[in-house]
Amino acid sequence: MDKNEQIVNYFLTCPQIQDSPLYFNFIQAEDSTTQILTDSNDIYANKTYIDGSELKLYNFTIIMFRSVSPNAVAKVIGYTNENIVDLADIQALIDWVTDQNELKNFPNFGENCIVQSIKPTTLNPIFSGIDTEVSPNLAVYNVTFQVEYLDISKKIWR
Amino acid sequence: MAVQQFNLDAGQRAERKLLITVAEWTEGSGSTPTREILGTRTEDSSIEYNPDIETTTDILGINYTDLNRTQPQQDFDPYLILGGSKLGAKLNDIRRRNALSELSQFTVYIITAFVGDASGGYAAEKHTGCTITYNSIGGDSNVNFPISVYFSNNITLGTVNKLADDFEFTATSGTIGG
Repeated sequence: MDKNEQIVNYFLTCPQIQDSPLYFNFIQAEDSTTQILTDSNDIYANKTYIDGSELKLYNFTIIMFRSVSPNAVAKVIGYTNENIVDLADIQALIDWVTDQNELKNFPNFGENCIVQSIKPTTLNPIFSGIDTEVSPNLAVYNVTFQVEYLDISKKIWR
Repeated sequence: MAVQQFNLDAGQRAERKLLITVAEWTEGSGSTPTREILGTRTEDSSIEYNPDIETTTDILGINYTDLNRTQPQQDFDPYLILGGSKLGAKLNDIRRRNALSELSQFTVYIITAFVGDASGGYAAEKHTGCTITYNSIGGDSNVNFPISVYFSNNITLGTVNKLADDFEFTATSGTIGG
C-alpha cells in the first residue's frame, strides 16, 4: 500500500485542508493552498526488534500559504487581524492531527504496517517568511509531522 | 546422531529473529494450549545460562574446571503491555491475584530456525515446568511489564513443523535432565 497516497487521503478528511487546493510534492504559491512534501526518513532511526519487526518513521512537511495583511495589530473593537486569524487556522490543523492521534485514527499503511502514532514535531506552525514577489504578499507556514509505524513484513513468526 | 548443520550460506550471519522463544500454557483442565512468541517490541534479549563453575588448580598449576549445572534464564525488557498479548494478559491476571504458584506452570520452547527447514522441521527444545516472573510494572510513556523466563532444563529435543503459534512439536529424543 502506498504510504504517500494514504497520507493524502488522510488529510483530505481534515476540515482545514479539504476545502482548499492540496498539492503533493509541488509548490503552488497562492493564497490558501496546501502542499504536502515528503521528507527523508533516516533508516538509522529505525528500531529492530528480536522478532524481526521494525519500528519506522515516516516524516513529511505541510506547507501552507496565506495572504498577509500589512495593517498594524490595533486594539480596535470589532477589528480582527487577518494574520492572527490565518495562524489560528493553521494551528487548527496541528490540533486536528493531535486529536486524531488521541482517537487512534491513523492513516492506513496496510496490513504489514501497524501505525502507532501521528504527531506534529512542533506545537505551533513555523512561520518561514513572507513572499513579497507575489501579489498579494504571502506568508509561508510549515509544520512537520511524523508517523511512527511498526513494519511487521519481515517477521517470520505468524 | 550427526550434528545438523546450519541452514545458512557459508559466512552468512543468522538474523536474531531466527532464535525464537515461545511460551505455552493451558487455561483450566484439558483445554488446548495457548502459545505466544516472546520478544514483541523487545530490541535485545539473550538466554543467559548462568553456569555454576568450580575451578581447582593442582600443584603443577594445571586447572580443572567442573561445570556443575546451568540455570538458563532470559529477560525481556521492555515487555510492553500490548493489545492482543495473551501472555501479557495472563501474567497481569496472575499479578492481580498474587497467584505466584501459577507462574511456574509454563512450557517454553526454544526454536532455532537456523537449523532445519520447513519440510523437515526446525530444531527446537521443549522445556516443561518453566517459571515466568514479572519484575516490575510501570515506565514512562507506555506501560512496561518486564519479565524473566527461568528455563527448567527438563528438556525434550524435537522439531516444530512451522513458525507460527499453531506449530506441532515432534519429539526426537527422550527427556534430558529434569
